Amino acid sequence: MAAAAGVNKQGTAAAAMEACVRHGRATAGNTVKVLECGVCEDVFSLQGDKVPRLLLCGHTVCHDCLTRLPLHGRAVRCPFDRQVTELGDSGVWGLKKNFALLELLERLQHGASNQSGMMEDALGGAGECIIRCDEDESHTASMYCTVCATHLCSECSQLTHSTRTLAKHRRVPLADKPHEKTLCPQHQVHAIEFVCLEDACQPGPLMCCVCKEYGKHQGHKHAVLEAEANQIRASILDMAHCIRTFTEEVSEYSRKLVGIVQQIEGGEQIVEDSIGMAHTEHVPGTAESARSCVRAYFADLHETLCRQEEMALSVVDAHVRERLIWLRQQQEDMTILLSQVSTACLHCEKTLQQDDCRVVLAKQEITRLLETLQKQQQQFTELADHIQLDAGIPVTFTKDNRVHIGPKMEIRVVTLGLDGAGKTTILFKLKQDEFMQPIPTIGFNVETVEYKNLKFTIWDVGGKHKLRPLWKHYYLNTQAVVFVIDSCHRDRLMESHSELAKLLTEKELRDALLLIFANKQDVPGAVSVEEMTELLSLHKLCCGRSWHIQGCDARSGMGLHEGLDWLSRQLVAAGVLDVA
Amino acid sequence: MKHFLRVLTQFFVFLYCKCLWRTLKFVVRKVTGRCELQRICYNNKPGARRTLKIESSLKYSKNELLQSAVSVHPDKVEKTIEDIMTLKKINPDTNPQLGISLQACLFQIVGYRNLVLEVEKLRREPYDCENPEHEEMLMKLWKMLRPETPLTGRISKQWCEIGFQGNDPKTDFRGMGLLGLHNLLYFAEHDKAAALQVLHDSLQPKHSKMSKAEWEKKKFDKAIGYSFAIVGINITDLAYALLVSGALKTHLYNVAPEMPSLVHFQQTFCYLMQEFHKFWTEEDPCDIMEFNRVRAKFHKRVLKQLKHPDMTLCPHFAASDLHLVNL
Repeated sequence: MAAAAGVNKQGTAAAAMEACVRHGRATAGNTVKVLECGVCEDVFSLQGDKVPRLLLCGHTVCHDCLTRLPLHGRAVRCPFDRQVTELGDSGVWGLKKNFALLELLERLQHGASNQSGMMEDALGGAGECIIRCDEDESHTASMYCTVCATHLCSECSQLTHSTRTLAKHRRVPLADKPHEKTLCPQHQVHAIEFVCLEDACQPGPLMCCVCKEYGKHQGHKHAVLEAEANQIRASILDMAHCIRTFTEEVSEYSRKLVGIVQQIEGGEQIVEDSIGMAHTEHVPGTAESARSCVRAYFADLHETLCRQEEMALSVVDAHVRERLIWLRQQQEDMTILLSQVSTACLHCEKTLQQDDCRVVLAKQEITRLLETLQKQQQQFTELADHIQLDAGIPVTFTKDNRVHIGPKMEIRVVTLGLDGAGKTTILFKLKQDEFMQPIPTIGFNVETVEYKNLKFTIWDVGGKHKLRPLWKHYYLNTQAVVFVIDSCHRDRLMESHSELAKLLTEKELRDALLLIFANKQDVPGAVSVEEMTELLSLHKLCCGRSWHIQGCDARSGMGLHEGLDWLSRQLVAAGVLDVA
Repeated sequence: MKHFLRVLTQFFVFLYCKCLWRTLKFVVRKVTGRCELQRICYNNKPGARRTLKIESSLKYSKNELLQSAVSVHPDKVEKTIEDIMTLKKINPDTNPQLGISLQACLFQIVGYRNLVLEVEKLRREPYDCENPEHEEMLMKLWKMLRPETPLTGRISKQWCEIGFQGNDPKTDFRGMGLLGLHNLLYFAEHDKAAALQVLHDSLQPKHSKMSKAEWEKKKFDKAIGYSFAIVGINITDLAYALLVSGALKTHLYNVAPEMPSLVHFQQTFCYLMQEFHKFWTEEDPCDIMEFNRVRAKFHKRVLKQLKHPDMTLCPHFAASDLHLVNL
């Protein structure tokens, strides 16, 4: 405890000193100018002219000033209290240096250099600063006497250890100087030699032999301090190694990052050409190439669109031309008809004004005329009944931007699925928007359903086992297959799957769209759409064709129109759906 | 011109319905001294002719009592007849036959209405696996149609043999409910010979026109078998449609002396089954896919037959089974 207190005191002293040094530095820059000669007011130095020397009275004056003091015989008088100090043969040189002051000075300067010159310390390596010889301040120590515990230079070492006894002292190079042994805080005389290995003692594992044998670590597992310390050192070294490799990895990674950023951004690169002339060349980054790719794509698209637009316009033009030609033809026909009729009228009028004999004679001609007139009238009414005069030109666009002229686009759809899946129910729900429990379909039902500007012709074929081989008769010219699955019949899913797989191998259905209705989603416990996709491995099964799975419920009609929407989107360009 | 004529005709029809008809009725009544009901009863022989006319007369009457007579409860029929007699001031002593005739007619009319309700109720009742009665009926159907082979299980491939779609007949009763099962069972039970014959024929691959070898080459055999049970359910739907539309009135008024009941309906079903089977064989369609076309044609033919008021869809039941009106 006492030692600890001592250390503490030293600590406070050092702190005070540091504060003082800081003060000094604050007032007078880098050098310490606290300690100066009282006469010349020059700063004391460690050696040379300004070395502080003690007078007999106790005052300290620098060497330079002392030499300038007037001699009174072989004595000088103190400039402060005029007491006499006798000088020896060597004069002023014989006076003792003020070592206390020198030490203080040294410490202060050392502290200052520590503060100011961290760099020097770092360069000195491992924080090792120059250790001075304990005998002579001006020498640099190079060895250490383990017995006297002093730092010595080789010169002083020989000088001080010249006697026979002293010469036996073991002196080692300074690098091999043993660490000072720490003393046990409990037993001041014993050095710490062991380390306790018990978990409970981990906060304070150090112990001396007394602690080990009799003290608080009695009977504990222990290891020799040095071995333990070496072990820890080894582990620290290991760790350092690890850290080094880790650091390398990190730096490697960051290098790569820089590289990638450069690759993305692109930039200037110095390239040597064949003659050996270096010149900078612009290297395009990936960002730029992506941009140019997009530009190229859209340019292409633009071109295609332009072409398609032209084609579509030409189709419309052709339609308009044909129609106009036809209408003009009709116009002409009507004019001819009118003239014919008026001629007939004229003829009749003429006949009216003639005398009776002529009228009777003209009778036959008149009846013939009337007959032709009637015939023409009949033809005309028939024509008028057939033809709807409508100036509208309804236009629809297919997915590949072709134009279709006509009120409705017709699509042939076949509805298939197992028996009882709800095909007929869906059909009637779509047709009449009413839910009815259907009877088993024998053969097929066919209905046309109009949705937006599409006209679906839906063939609903019975799902009975025996009918399934007959499905193939309905495949021809089918643009879309609607496959209905009963979501609440888990045990029949595999049957559905095999039928669907069979369906997809059909050559005639190769280009057909596939819409899968997961019906009866309203029934609790029904297989969800996602699960169904999973269970039937639809992604794998329908690979390479356009397909869609839609949950629905024929009872409320939920999902049915979404399904048709999907179908129409596949067949018709989306944006113009609501035009008609 | 055409359009104008059409409007004119409509106008006259409307006028006739509104005033002329009533005036005519009034005049005739004054001249003959008999009311319309009396005239109908005396001039028409019993059966559909008489009952249909009475029904329309009652329906279009301006008197509320007569209007409501068609939908009266069966228990109150006699009372209603008495009321009508007093209302029309007919003396029951001088016209003893009239009351009886009227009563029979009214019973038929009311009975038909109730039959429609009863059939509708049966149709609405879904087949329930939990209900032992339903299960029992289904098992009985199997026993009737396949007396030699026992059923291996409630859910079995064997159901396909008698023409159900899948392993569980339950799903096929969706649209017609219990009515389908009742009808099939009645057919199998009461007209066993015919039912078995139809079933037997339905299972035969059809190769009337082609040689057997040619048939096999085309590999149609699996696909074509007329499925007895689901055809039965389809025909039930047909019979139901006929009943609801009122087309069956002719037949039922001719067949049932008083109230037509479910038995009459089921007998009609049996007749339709056999007739359809015959029709199918005559039509000789090339495969089952033509079913709906054949069915529509058959439906049209039956409707045409029922237009004739003396028509009965007469199954060849034993005379005792048929409660035919003694003409």
